[in-house]
Amino acid sequence: MSIILFSDVSQIYPGEIRAISHVSLAIEEGELVFLMGPSGAGKSTLLKLMAGIETPSSGVLQIIGQDMKQLHRAALPYLRRKLGLILQQNSLLNDRSVLANVMLPLMVVGAKPEEAEQRARVALTRVGLANKAGVLPYSLSGGEQQRVSIARAIVHKPRIILADEPTANLDRDSARLVLDMLQAFNNAGVTCVISTHDERLLERASKIFVLEHGRITAMRMPGNEVGL
Amino acid sequence: MKWLIAHWRAVFDASLKIKMAPLSFIFNTIVVALALALPMSGWIVLQDLQPLSNQVLVDPEISIYLSMDLPRDKAESLATDFKRLSNQHHVTASLTFIPRESALENLNKQADLTDVVSTLGANPLPDAYVVKLTGSTSEARVKQVQDLATALEKVEGVHTVQLDTLWLKRLAAVFTLATSLFWFVAATLCCVVVAVVFNTIRLQLLTHADEINVSRLLGATDAFIARPFYYTGAYLGLLAGLLSLALVLIGIQLLNQPVAALAQSYGTVFQLSWPNLGTVIFLLLAAVVLGFLGASLSVWRSLRRSL
Repeated sequence: MSIILFSDVSQIYPGEIRAISHVSLAIEEGELVFLMGPSGAGKSTLLKLMAGIETPSSGVLQIIGQDMKQLHRAALPYLRRKLGLILQQNSLLNDRSVLANVMLPLMVVGAKPEEAEQRARVALTRVGLANKAGVLPYSLSGGEQQRVSIARAIVHKPRIILADEPTANLDRDSARLVLDMLQAFNNAGVTCVISTHDERLLERASKIFVLEHGRITAMRMPGNEVGL
Repeated sequence: MKWLIAHWRAVFDASLKIKMAPLSFIFNTIVVALALALPMSGWIVLQDLQPLSNQVLVDPEISIYLSMDLPRDKAESLATDFKRLSNQHHVTASLTFIPRESALENLNKQADLTDVVSTLGANPLPDAYVVKLTGSTSEARVKQVQDLATALEKVEGVHTVQLDTLWLKRLAAVFTLATSLFWFVAATLCCVVVAVVFNTIRLQLLTHADEINVSRLLGATDAFIARPFYYTGAYLGLLAGLLSLALVLIGIQLLNQPVAALAQSYGTVFQLSWPNLGTVIFLLLAAVVLGFLGASLSVWRSLRRSL
């Protein structure tokens, strides 16, 4: 059974603006999937739907077996705890230390502070920022902030990582480092869905969906391309 | 255990949020304290007046003056008739016979009347009965007491029955009005407290909007987000309650001397007393509940608006 399943999903905003139109796709557990396309193609909307930030206007969307249209508001947080989100806008809290930011997903689930701190330090070590635990996020570079976001996304051992343009505004080396990290988590069995318009990154993908004007126009897998 | 950790964390977070904007919290606390001070002082004064008003209102007396020529044994035997009439009119009463000698003696004891009494020569006072009524002072009861007085007047050997029902009615009306007014003012000011706390927490929610949104995306439940704000509301209520209690106690201390002097000029002793521990706990609890209520309404409204 697919871990993420879109079946004829459309998302229409007020004013009849169609962000995505009749999208059907399936993502299996453990895959590293890229959503490709120009700005405004609907990549971010797809990720928002996957994260339960928005509910589809029509169609069926299942995340880890949960029908997102049927999902009760009170159950949504428990589903989100199985996801790791890396958002396009910097979503770090600038009035808290890097360590406190990374501890947040664990505090939310009621972990003991000592345990949360220990796990957050491990996550920061994995992204190479163990020495930055005590600093405030705004004093870090863009690449470092993105790595903190990654540490926060993986600290609670999610089943799926959703990353919206994780390499945007990063230089080539930082982008490669971020991608290396995401691939390492994918190699450890975590499903990763990454939106990007940077074609250089696609060599790592196990599946690529190409979006244009809110529709999937092609699906590429290593070695072949399927036009849709 | 997780539940306890979550609450402990929320208490800590609430303190942190207050520490981030202490001045605004202090000013809000002062506003809430001032709003609480009036109903609190009203409550404490009412508690003080309760025994006094019970004595004045709930135990009115009917004085029955007997004829001057009525023999003593006949006068004493009238007690049975009076008790029977009280029972017939469903009025609970205690009956005290006051012989004319005792009445004169009592009159003599009042220092400023000694000279007047000594000029009278023979005892001018009749034997009398005092009927002390017990129970509430409702309109229906006033009617019962009036009927009883009329019936007592008709008993042979009774010269005059004295019952100032108009006075009784007026006093009952004033007491009812004062009580209603107190509850109205208290309810209004409690609404003010809830509104102030509501607004304080609304501003805090706006200040922490980013944190709330991020927490939501990371899987925070509504309860997790709301808890620190509930505690902030309760803190605000508690601190405002303590402050208003201090204001009321200072007020009592300042007013007590003039109040005692005023009471003394009416030949009575009255002082506003400090509230007992039970009243203090009740008032502080009420302040905490109001703070919690204001915070809950604010958080509920905010969470309904965001996903």
